[in-house]
Order: sequence, then C-alpha cells, then structure tokens
Amino acid sequence: MKVKIKSWNGVASWLWVANDENCGICRMAFNGCCPDCKVPGDDCPLVWGQCSHCFHMHCILKWLNSQQVQQHCPMCRQEWKFKE
Amino acid sequence: MPLGIRENICTGFWGTPTSSKAAPRSSSVELLKDSDLRAAVEVLQRYDLHSVLEEWFTEVLQTDLQANIAPEFWNCIGQYENTAEEPQCSLLLLDAFCLLKCRLDPYLNSLDLLEKWTKMGLLLGTGSQMLREKVYTMFKAILFFTTTKTFQEMIQQFYSRTFKIYMRQWKKGEDRMNTCESSMSENEQESDMEDGGGDGLQCMGCSSKKEQCWCPTAMEQFQQLNEILHRLNLLERVSANAVTTILHKMIEERMERRCRGEYEHSFLNEFQEWIEKVIGWLSRVFLQDSPMAHSTPEASSTLKRWRCHVQRFFYRIYASMRIEELFSIIRDFPESKPAVEDLKFCLERTNQRQQLLSSLKSALEMRLLHPGVNTSDIITLYISAIKALRELDPSMVILEVACEPIRKYLRTREDTVRQIVAGLTGDAEGSGDLANELSKADPVTLENGQESDDDISEPEDWLPDPVDADPGKLSSKRRSSDIISLLVSIYGSKDLFINEYRTLLADRLLHQFNYSAEREIRNVELLKLRFGEAQMHYCEVMLKDMADSRRINTNIRDEEEKLPEEERPPFSLVAVILSSEFWPPLKEEKLELPEQIKEAMEAYSKKYEKLKAMRTLNWKHHLGLVNLDVELADRTVSLSVSPVHAAIILHFQSKSTWTLAELSEVLKVPVTSLRRKMTLWLQQGILREDPQGTFTVIEEEQKDLVEKVVLIDSDEEGDSAMASQADQKEEELQLFWTYIQAMLTNLESLSLERIHSMLKMFVMTGPVVTEIDIQELQGFLQKKVRDQQLIYSGGVYRLPKNCS
Repeated sequence: MKVKIKSWNGVASWLWVANDENCGICRMAFNGCCPDCKVPGDDCPLVWGQCSHCFHMHCILKWLNSQQVQQHCPMCRQEWKFKE
Repeated sequence: MPLGIRENICTGFWGTPTSSKAAPRSSSVELLKDSDLRAAVEVLQRYDLHSVLEEWFTEVLQTDLQANIAPEFWNCIGQYENTAEEPQCSLLLLDAFCLLKCRLDPYLNSLDLLEKWTKMGLLLGTGSQMLREKVYTMFKAILFFTTTKTFQEMIQQFYSRTFKIYMRQWKKGEDRMNTCESSMSENEQESDMEDGGGDGLQCMGCSSKKEQCWCPTAMEQFQQLNEILHRLNLLERVSANAVTTILHKMIEERMERRCRGEYEHSFLNEFQEWIEKVIGWLSRVFLQDSPMAHSTPEASSTLKRWRCHVQRFFYRIYASMRIEELFSIIRDFPESKPAVEDLKFCLERTNQRQQLLSSLKSALEMRLLHPGVNTSDIITLYISAIKALRELDPSMVILEVACEPIRKYLRTREDTVRQIVAGLTGDAEGSGDLANELSKADPVTLENGQESDDDISEPEDWLPDPVDADPGKLSSKRRSSDIISLLVSIYGSKDLFINEYRTLLADRLLHQFNYSAEREIRNVELLKLRFGEAQMHYCEVMLKDMADSRRINTNIRDEEEKLPEEERPPFSLVAVILSSEFWPPLKEEKLELPEQIKEAMEAYSKKYEKLKAMRTLNWKHHLGLVNLDVELADRTVSLSVSPVHAAIILHFQSKSTWTLAELSEVLKVPVTSLRRKMTLWLQQGILREDPQGTFTVIEEEQKDLVEKVVLIDSDEEGDSAMASQADQKEEELQLFWTYIQAMLTNLESLSLERIHSMLKMFVMTGPVVTEIDIQELQGFLQKKVRDQQLIYSGGVYRLPKNCS
C-alpha cells in the first residue's frame, strides 16, 4: 500500500519569539496588539532594546517620547537603544 | 251608582260580559253608538264617579285574562303534542295567536276609547300612557309569566324555518340579479346544498318535496304572526329569545363551516354582507315591512339595537374562534395575514385581550414548549409569532406577554444560541428568515444604553400602553420589534451571541480551508452594523488571518518553485496561520505526526520565520484537512481526511499490521479515541480488524468482507475544533472564585443567595459583564465543596480553616 499526500492543509498559530508573554508597558499580550491597534502582527510589531527587553513598538515609542531628558528602558532603567 | 249607566257602558265596551266562553265573541261596539257611550260617561262625571272607570276596566280585563283567555290560549298550544308535521304545527301556532288576538282586540279598542276620552278631559286618567302600559304588562304577566317548553320549541321552529326561507328567497333574488358574478355565489350554493340535503327534489327553504313546498304559506303566516304580536305588544316577550338563539346558532354554524382553518381570506366583509341580509329578516320581524311602521322611532331603535347586538355577537364569536386558532395562524404567517387583520379588527371591538393571552400561552405550552420539538422549530415559530403579533398589536404588548414562556423556555435549551447564530448566517435549513432579516436595510443597532422616551418624534402620536402592559418596562424598549434584537435579548446580553458566532466562524474557517471567505466577510459586515464595530473586531481579525495566510502560502510556494526539482518538498503544505489571541480557544489534542510531515512543517516554519522576523509558528497538529490517495494493489481511493486519519494510514505504509496499542503509542493518541478514528478506514474498506484490536490493510478487495463492516457513526463532522461552551464557562466562573474567596475571608460565612446578590452587585456590573444565575453558581460552589476548597454546612458556605 502506498499513500500519496496531494496536499496537507495545516493549522498553526504565530507567536513572537520573546522572553515574556506580555508587554511591560500596556500589559497586553505580545501576540495580541497594543491598546491603540486593532490588528496584531505586522501592524503592531515588537521591538527589542539592547537590554534585551521588548515591547510593542507603539508602546515604547510613546514612552520614549514622554521622556524629557534621557531615554531609559522602562524595565531596567538602562539607556534605551534599539537592537539592530 | 246608577246601575243603568254601568250596564250601558259595559255592553258598550264588551257586549255582554257574561257571554259563554265557547261562543265566539262578537264585538258589539257597533251596536252602541259612540255618542250614547259618551253620554253615559258624562253622567258618571256628573256624579264624580268617572275616576272608577279605569280601575274597573283593568279589573275586568285581569279577571277575564285569568279566567278565560289564558287557559283557552294555552289549551290551544297544548294541542301541539298531537301534531307531528311542521306545517300543521305552525298553523296551530298561528291559530292560537289569532284566537288570542280576537279575544284581546275588544279590550284594545276600548283602551283606545278610554284614551280618547282622557285626552278630551272626560276622564281624569293617570296619564293614558300609563294605562296602556299597565294593560300590556298585564298581557305579558298573565299570559306569558311562564311559558311551556313546547311553546318555546314551537316558536323557535317557526322562526328558524322562516329565517331559512327568507335567506333562500333573498339569495334567489340576488342570483337572478347577478348571475355573472358567479364564482362566489356558486361556492355559497354548494355549501348550502350540503346542509339542505340537496337532491334537487327538495325545496331548500322548507325542506319538503318541491311539489309540496309551503314556503309562501310559511312566509304569510310569519307575516301574520308578527303583526299579531306587534299589535299585542308581545313581540319582544315571545320571540326575542327565539330570534337570539337562531341568530347565534346561524352565525356559529356559518362561521364553523366557512372560516375554520381558512386563514388566507378576510371574512369580515363577507359576514358584514350576510349580517345585512339577516337584518333584512329582522326588519321583517320587527318592522312589519309596512311603510308606516318604518317611521316609528321606537321600532327603528329596536332594529338598531338588534343590529348592534348581531354585530357584536359576530365579532365576539369570530374573535374567539381566531383566538382558539391563533397558534396555527401564527404558524402559517404570513399566508395567514388576512386572518390576523380580521382578528385585530375584532379585538378592537371586543374585550378579549385577556382571553387571547391566556389561550395563546397555553397553546404554546401545549404544542411547542416540550422536549419533543426541535430548538430550530421553536425559533422559527417565535419569529413567526413576532411578525404576526406585531401586526396584531403594534404596541407589542401581546407579543411581550404571550411570548415570555417561549423566551423562558429557549433559555433552558442549550443549543438556542447556536441555532440562532446558524440562522443568522444562513446555515440552518429552513431559517432563511433570519438571514434575510440580517441583510435588511436600515438595521437597528443593538445598543446597551437606555433609550429615553424623548426621542419619540411626534408628541401627538403618543398612545398610552394597553392596560395589560407590564408597567415595569419602558414602552420605547418594547417597541423595538426588530426580530434580531428580540432573539438576541432572550439571553439579555449580546456577548453570548458574538462569542457563539466567533466559535461558529472559527469552525467553518478551519473546516473548509476556504481562504477567500466572501460569504463570511459579508456576514461579519452585516453583523457589524447590528452589534457595533468593537464587538465584531475579533471576527474581522480572524478573517484577516485567512487572507494573510493565503498571501504567505503563495509566497512560500513561489519560493519553492524556484528550487531545483529534487529539493522540492514531496507534497504541498499550506497553512492557516492564526492570531491566537483573537480566535476562540482551540481544543487541545495530542497527536504525534509521522516524521515526514513534521519535517515539512519544520521547513514551512523556517520559511515563515524568514518572511516575518522574530516570529515563529506553533503547529496545531490535530487540526487541518489532508487530501490523499491510498494506492492499493487493485484500486486507488481518494479522500479528504483529518490529520489523525492521515497519520494513521501513513503508518500502515511501513507495516501492514498494527495493534491498537502500538498505534496509540506512536501517535500519542488515547486508545479510546483512536478506536473511533479507525472506523473511517474500516468503513472505507482499506483496513480490517482481525482479531479484535489488530488492524491489517486489505490489499485486494473482497466484496463479501466489505459488507460485514459495521457502520459506526464516527461523529467526525459534528466535531468542533473549538473548546466547548462548558469549558469556556468554567473559565469564566473561575473569575468569580477570586471574589468569592475574598468575600468569605472577610465575612466568614455566607448563604448561596447572599453570594449571588453580592456578585451581582459588585462583579456583574463591571465593564466585562459575565452573567451567572443562581443554579450555575450553586453547581460551581458544590464543585468547590467536592474539591475541598469550600465547606458547606447549615446552609452557608465557609472557607476551610487552613485556607485563610
């Protein structure tokens, strides 16, 4: 007997490769989206800092814009630099 | 008192008062001249004795009535027992009354005379009208104080016969007038044939042989009798009962014959016409048909009263009948719309709303709200009821009150929400109604906020609620007659529906693998108009996932095609990639796929990661759809199966015999559910089980073996990929647990009711409204007691000591 697979329709869910479940700023799931967004994934991406903490891009940008003097990671208080 | 004068007057009035009973009395008024009498009265007046005259008159009348006239009359009537034939009988009746008239006529003449004198001032009188009334009352009182049953029967028979004849003649006249307008009257003739026993030889009116027809005679007798009764002012007393009974019977019979079960015509006009005919007959009875009588206001007011009575009676009977049939009418709506309109018309004129409500309620409970009826049928009927009853009662009060049992009952059915949602999306058979309703223009948005009464446009248009309305509810709320709002409000919250819809949508998307779900998109758009953007947001993301997945699949396939032939994957793997946060919780099942499949998925994940930086895939192995060909020695079978089935058969490639335990080991699927999955391959005749628990490939088909396979229902289609409603509810209840713990820590012990009311106060008012009823809560708490997280004693719940 031989089984020939013509096509396999699978189901998968995507997830961010992050070391945490939730965004430290908005407390929403990374796999969801920030409070201002409606659609997760490409439209509401994550960004990583050099301190290896990550946030929703929209959340960290809002945070950084609100900082007057120096821009720190809200988690570890190190200077915030985007990881390349 | 001068005796001579008295005798004079006496003879003047009645001839010899001592004349024998048997001999016919001849009026001897003619014998004495009017002037003589007058002279006599003047003599009396001179002696101031004229006041006695009236008293004496009534005295004589009374004695005569009691002693002679009444026994004579009833004797006459009593002969009825000996007569069997109807014509004879009516003749007898007429004779009896003729006799009565003869006997009373002299008195009436004298009465006229007395009145004349009073008017001329010869007599004092207590007002002549009084005397006349007194005389008439005496007739009634002495003659008809009690009537025998036979007499009533006779009267009734007589009137119903003449009624029949009259209606027959009337119809004949009408037929002659408009023979061209035949369809209706033919119909009518047919139906009348039936009750006329019509073999063509019988006269319809008097139901005796044509050659012996006595219709004209009967009508003549009818005329005469009415005249006599009228003259004696006994018409109402003698015939009112009979006439009423006849009319009621006729209306009931006619309605039973023509209207029962017939909802597609309006019968009001037809009956109105018919009632006019009946009034024609009544006018024969009460107005004598003479032009003179028409003018008397008294008679015409009698007729008016009768017309009013007949109409009201008709409305009441008709409404009762329709109320009795209301369940069927609702079931047949909108075909039965004329019946509903008729009923509405009648209800406005009769006071039968209460009757309608209680009758409809009990009909619903008897015929609909029991376990033998499908939920979808109940919903279909409810929708019909909404449509029909909002036609019947625009204030929606009847709908609200009568359908409360349906709503209450639907709440107890588990599949209600699913059925309604399926109906909304046009899945369920026979419920296109809801789908149509959904796509109706200008939908009503389901707002949670309360509408105020102010937004009713015209103050002049305001109407008070009917008396049976529930005063606790806002009328504006009731007026939203939108079917979908009503259905959704069965459960009080729309979240339940949205969740159910989401589950349904997820199921369909994952079962069909239809990446361009136009219909779903349309449905979601329509639902968005109803439930608002925010509520449907999750569904939109789900649909977007489908579109994105298609793009990614194309991308990946394009890349594969660039590869040299030998590096290409052996089969095409496409995936639906979900945003897990936005889909309803998926059922978790363990399944170990064969190596080759896992590799393919691995490769797919790699490509995905390349496409979308910092993201990866988490495969749901047990979900999906596989198209495969099973190539056997003598045949090839093409199938679309679930991944589990595919995994099973793939293992049979390497080894043609497996035991259930071995398979369970490699697939990591429990034996029980695996056995269920095996049935598909047994049914397809690809595997056989021999001995129990050992499966072997059937390389060469043997016809006789296939037939032996027992078809076991492999409930595969109904399987939902989503976690069940009960599991989800469990999770919601978990939220309450935190609150309950806090409550019990602070207050030590609480009763079930207290817990429920506190939860209601503090938890269920929040933005995320999760509803829980007291039974659910009780079940939940009892479970906690079983798990020893809670102690229940003396009707109150407590936390175990060590837990605080």
